[in-house]
Amino acid sequence: MNTKKLQSFVSENAIYIVLAVLLVGIAVYEPSFIGLNTLRDILIQSSTRVIIALGVAFILITGGTDLSAGRMVGLTAVVSASMLQEVDYARRFFPNLPELPMFIPVLIAIAVGLLFGLINGVIVAKFKVPPFIATLGTMVAIYGINSLYFDTDPNQSQPIGGLRGDFTNLLGSGSIGKGDFSIPYIVIIAIVVCAIVWVMFNKTRLGKNMYAIGGNEQAAKVSGINVSKNLILIYSIAGALYGLAGVMEAARTGGATNNYGNMYELDAIAACVVGGVSTTGGIGTVPGIMAGVLIFTVINYGLTFVGVGPYWQQIIKGAIIVAAVAFDMRKYASKK
Amino acid sequence: MKKLTTVMLAAAMLGATMVGCSNGGDKESSGGNGGSTPSVGVAIYKFDDTFMTGVRNSIEKNADGIAKVDVVDSQNSQPTQNDKIDLFLTKKTNALIVNPVDRTAAGVIIDKAQAKDTPVVFLNREPLPEDMKKWDKVYYVGAKAEESGTLSGQIVVDYWKANPEADKNGDGVLQYVMLKGEPGHQDAELRTQYSIQAIEEAGIKVEKVAEDTAMWDRVKGQEKMAAFLAANGDKIEAVLANNDDMALGAIEALKAAGYFTGDKYMPVVGVDATAPALQALEQGTMLGTVLNDAENQGKAAVTLASLLAKGEAISKDSVGFEITDNQYVWIPYQKVTKDNAADFK
Repeated sequence: MNTKKLQSFVSENAIYIVLAVLLVGIAVYEPSFIGLNTLRDILIQSSTRVIIALGVAFILITGGTDLSAGRMVGLTAVVSASMLQEVDYARRFFPNLPELPMFIPVLIAIAVGLLFGLINGVIVAKFKVPPFIATLGTMVAIYGINSLYFDTDPNQSQPIGGLRGDFTNLLGSGSIGKGDFSIPYIVIIAIVVCAIVWVMFNKTRLGKNMYAIGGNEQAAKVSGINVSKNLILIYSIAGALYGLAGVMEAARTGGATNNYGNMYELDAIAACVVGGVSTTGGIGTVPGIMAGVLIFTVINYGLTFVGVGPYWQQIIKGAIIVAAVAFDMRKYASKK
Repeated sequence: MKKLTTVMLAAAMLGATMVGCSNGGDKESSGGNGGSTPSVGVAIYKFDDTFMTGVRNSIEKNADGIAKVDVVDSQNSQPTQNDKIDLFLTKKTNALIVNPVDRTAAGVIIDKAQAKDTPVVFLNREPLPEDMKKWDKVYYVGAKAEESGTLSGQIVVDYWKANPEADKNGDGVLQYVMLKGEPGHQDAELRTQYSIQAIEEAGIKVEKVAEDTAMWDRVKGQEKMAAFLAANGDKIEAVLANNDDMALGAIEALKAAGYFTGDKYMPVVGVDATAPALQALEQGTMLGTVLNDAENQGKAAVTLASLLAKGEAISKDSVGFEITDNQYVWIPYQKVTKDNAADFK
């Protein structure tokens, strides 16, 4: 009986065990890894990633996929940065733009993300284009749109710098409290977003519909769910989340270029699948996704911390992705 | 069975981690030779850039005995680089060498470093002057990009003057195509501008047949050149590329179009003097290149970082390179052609 309990405990919590093993392994090898500073770094570095991963998770759970996530992050980073430069900065994107209240450019960027998410949703739901192809198309096109915007006079493809201090502080480097016990604003934002998404997944009709569509689209349709409407809504929400993440990336680095967000979608998809989101749809939890994101940050950060070469890190990351999905498939097969 | 899988999974990962760790450990022990050697965190913009790999190798080589270097890959992403820098600062690294992904991000990096009183040496991509002025423990090691443009233009001028047949259509005007690096990259813009300026200053009229970006990339250089040849054919009299990778790509496209056999020739110039470029010089397919001195950039950066980490005085004598305006070390470029290619191997 005990073995059985242990078996199911391990199988249900594999992802958290892997995270714990990684953390303990790194800490044993390099004791100075244990500390509030490193914890804060890991949480900061996970903040934007978890927001993107949650956006992608919405779509993965419906049985779709989103390759355009990273390019949307890039576009919204550039859009927000272009309107949030210091008024006296020498190379302004909009030389005559007055200092706007911060929320306006932020909301514009999020709206841009939402708009492109909506476009994805319409292409998938109304034109029945497979999500992989639909978002492959928008991924390429959004980079083009971003580059076009980035190349307009007088910016002409120069990196956008000189971002306002209030912006980089609130959505980037600032924190509540001082010293060891400070909590960065972006970590708080990420936690709030996780909480909101958790409520959406678990307590709303949209969440229930999302799982139903991913579980079996035909059955969902027959049981009276308006699949297209829900899909369009879900893709739009995902777009808005990418928009927020893009704004935070710009703030965190104090600048933006059209190359921002490149390949982030793959990191996000990897974090989701490692966090137990099923690639066949219908399954996925917010805590799992958070753990998936943390695993990759711990690999990125922790292995660099102990001095593992970048090539080894790639090998370990790849192995974990494949192992996680193989494990997920086993679980899935054994349930059948 | 499930349990077994999980345990094996966890064990495999831990194993992989430990293998990696021991790998990292070896590197560290070979880097320094004593407890007092300062640690220097090095963030390179991306590891698969040929020129920066040369600089990176030089940093690791010249660090021997003066600094314990920890070199990381920013994967061509400024957010990733900022993450790595946060990590170095948390680890209380004594100094940083940063090869920024995006030069405007230097301001934020300087703020972070200053807060932890960790000196920074920027490398190869020059921060904006106003950012450099923020703190006196910020240095820049690099080359003056305009100089590389000027020298590559001069190589074309020398060829044009020595070979009257270079003017294929005999109109006295040099018809050229330009392969540019990443749009907005300071080196790309300056090399483009100054190479042409050098040709014009030598009294030669020029006509731009085509210009496009090939993103510093050999494959893209080949593709763009193939397109230029398809569109303009024999009208082109010279190819200028902002770096060697693109020039080598162009040479491949030219070979495919029948150049470099018999008397069908095209002068192609690049910048960087990479090993494949030197080989192309000796084979006679590349006319010339300009050495962006990776060896000395890496040496100057790591020497400077080591001195700053130890809090020692920075001067021409201690660093071994001229210090300009208290914060800049300019490493000069050199012209490389078939005649002196062997010296740079």
